[in-house]
Amino acid sequence: MPESLKNYLGLMAAYVRINLNAQLEYRGAFISEAVAMFVNDGSWVLFWVMFFHRFPALKGWNLQDVMTIWAVAAGSFGIAHALMGNGWHLPTIIVNGQLDLWMLYPRAVLPHLLLGRTMSTAWGDAAFGYAVYIALVRPDLAHFLMFVFLTVSVAALYVGFSVASASLGFFVGNAAALCEQWRFAVITFATYPQSLFSGLAKLALFTIVPAAFVSYIPVEALRMLSIRHVLASVFGAVVMLGIGSAMFYAGLRRYESGNLLSMHG
Amino acid sequence: MKAIGKYTWIAYTSVRSSLAYWGEIAARTIFMAMILYIFMRLWTAVYEGAGAERLGGLSLKQMLWYLMITEAIVLSSPRVSVEVDEDVRTGRLAVQLLRPLSYALFLMAKTFGERAVRFTMNILSGSIVTLVLVGPIPMSLSGLAMFALIVPAAFALDFLAYLFIGLFAFWLESTAGLWILYSRLTMLLGGMLMPIEIFPDRLQPILRNLPFAMMVYGPARIFVAPNARTLLSIAVSQMWGLAAFSIAVYVIQNIALRRIQSNGG
Amino acid sequence: MRHEVEIENLKKNFVLKRWHGLRRSVSEVAAVDGVTLTVPAGEPVALIGPNGAGKSTTIKMLTGILHPTSGHLRVLGLTPWRERRKLAYRIGAVFGQRSQLWYHLPPRDTFELLSRIYSIRRDEFIRTRDVLVERFGLGPFMDVPVRKLSLGERMRAEVAASLLHRPQVLFLDEPTIGLDVVARQELRDLIREWNRKDGVTVFLTSHDAGDIEYVAERVVVINHGRVVVDDRVTNVRRQYLSSKILRIQFQRAAPPVDLPGVTTLARSEYELKLAVDSAVAPIPEVIGQLLQLAPAADVSVEDPPLEEVIARIYQTAKGGPV
Repeated sequence: MPESLKNYLGLMAAYVRINLNAQLEYRGAFISEAVAMFVNDGSWVLFWVMFFHRFPALKGWNLQDVMTIWAVAAGSFGIAHALMGNGWHLPTIIVNGQLDLWMLYPRAVLPHLLLGRTMSTAWGDAAFGYAVYIALVRPDLAHFLMFVFLTVSVAALYVGFSVASASLGFFVGNAAALCEQWRFAVITFATYPQSLFSGLAKLALFTIVPAAFVSYIPVEALRMLSIRHVLASVFGAVVMLGIGSAMFYAGLRRYESGNLLSMHG
Repeated sequence: MKAIGKYTWIAYTSVRSSLAYWGEIAARTIFMAMILYIFMRLWTAVYEGAGAERLGGLSLKQMLWYLMITEAIVLSSPRVSVEVDEDVRTGRLAVQLLRPLSYALFLMAKTFGERAVRFTMNILSGSIVTLVLVGPIPMSLSGLAMFALIVPAAFALDFLAYLFIGLFAFWLESTAGLWILYSRLTMLLGGMLMPIEIFPDRLQPILRNLPFAMMVYGPARIFVAPNARTLLSIAVSQMWGLAAFSIAVYVIQNIALRRIQSNGG
Repeated sequence: MRHEVEIENLKKNFVLKRWHGLRRSVSEVAAVDGVTLTVPAGEPVALIGPNGAGKSTTIKMLTGILHPTSGHLRVLGLTPWRERRKLAYRIGAVFGQRSQLWYHLPPRDTFELLSRIYSIRRDEFIRTRDVLVERFGLGPFMDVPVRKLSLGERMRAEVAASLLHRPQVLFLDEPTIGLDVVARQELRDLIREWNRKDGVTVFLTSHDAGDIEYVAERVVVINHGRVVVDDRVTNVRRQYLSSKILRIQFQRAAPPVDLPGVTTLARSEYELKLAVDSAVAPIPEVIGQLLQLAPAADVSVEDPPLEEVIARIYQTAKGGPV
């Protein structure tokens, strides 16, 4: 029974509602965690403010560029994991055999299970990304609309990447450390101006550690209001979602054979 | 005498169990390599852009070694707050608060053991990475001795701050927010990302007297540019800091104790 | 006539990789080794067997979570692992250890979510929900967070949730585990009622003999991945479950006991452990007779452990027809 997009969006809305309700049962913790992440992101931007106060230009990048990097990176990460928090927690779900429950529902496993949880800190990231862009970069309407589109596109890329990194757990025992490092690499490299890197490193940032798609391409898109860069961003997101899905479903076939379980004892 | 022996044994056991995780060493090396590589690219660009041999009194090589030490310090801090937080919630702390000094000492011995191991691992892996990236800096035995002298007090200060934060679990639903705030303040004001000398002139005297600088900037600066006068001023600040924090912890513990006694736990 | 569940010579092998120091050994373990079973619509079946017998593996294959190594398997005319989503609309499942109710929210919220997951039409959903709330007695706590409910209340809500989309087959894995006597019986009654009145085929796995007696009409015993017994509950009860274990603690030294249908299993100075065949000697009579022998301080009656029953079944089955 193929679901229409409308049906899926309705399901997503239902999950957002129930996830928020669950979080608000412990609103103190939810709010403090979101605020903590907001503060965390803010302190990095503060660092850059102090940095650029002392060193006005860095290989052609200025404070506004770096703030845009942070706005896109944090905003997208926030959207991705506020809506699809289980993307982040997928490694645990796989290891604990919780996939079974998701397989009992009349839904494609991946798009459904991703909705099952929200990450409270991601809300802080999303709020921060948008706050920084609106208040500190102060865009006009055209830039803002492009920004919104880009955060959704990069959020899709983040979801694909979270799933891909988590799916390592289907194939490699004790993949948790590898997954963590890979995720850390993308998030960290994404928050620095790409002009710092060249050669092999730059190549890596467009491929195995797709940080360039998180910040460099969107920032260039916004700098020049370039549709071409926007398309490149969408392309990256589609590819990453494809890779993530492929890895997940290949892993799921292994799971269904039951041989995953014997690997973990 | 017996009491000291007990705490030493606790620290020793803690050291032994931390050493068991060789995989963690590998993970840390990759971690440090990523961060230091980014810093190297960043500061090379800065030095080139400013056309300077020295910034804040440090050469590029010294700058990178400085950053390696600050990272090694910050990354070695165990999650004491989380433990104290848990102890409060499970009620264990209420019992232990009846003998507050021994609780604090017990926790300190335990965390020092963990921290000493983590710190050593970080220094080792960080040194290898930094040697590969920029090469060595001149080092002397007396310089290293000064460094060794100043590190324990830095750790003790950090520990007291975490204990202080953890005790707030008596009043707050979650201390995670306070912990994040503290760690970000350390990052921004403690000189983790750039030495105090780079900050605006007006801020420098204030920052030098804050506890954050005594924990992070102080030891790192002594390592790359050992200087008896700097050592003395840092050591004196550390003593003041230890006194102030001990009083603060003592006060909070008493308030907490009174709260338990009036609420019956 | 098509059966709801058709299983023929079902097999499932797991590959086991073990490390012995640096060397690795690979072996195949047959968790399910040729199970054949057909279940007509509306029949309540109990699937029992010791741990590791292949019960959960079979259930996982029936629900489409695992795919078999070989054999024929159809549920409601569909191949579970190939048509998982289509099948999921028509089956329900309650796994005792894993809850689908959101822990910090009231059952009402989970029910709403389920109506979205199963794309149930609004008016239909409201009707079914209200019927379930009434018959399962959920009214008082529909708006109470699940974490505040007793285990009995939670399981009732859990089973009701699994019926919201009106499935034709309901899989229950250890649904009464951890429940007190009253809650257990309540749940059994509800499940049985739903089976008898609404025609839902029930597939129940359990370690509890009482679950079998009250809910199922048919018992399938699985051991070592094979069906060992497949019979009507009434037959199995007569043969194996009529025996109860009676413990009695006397105030004085325990007297010798020689009553028909009563076997002494164990004896200590004041206590006796007896096996009573209730078909021959009803329990109340036996207790009365024992009390006449000597005054007692404590008496308890329990079912023999299922493992014992199964062992006995297996022993008999070895010799007899299967």
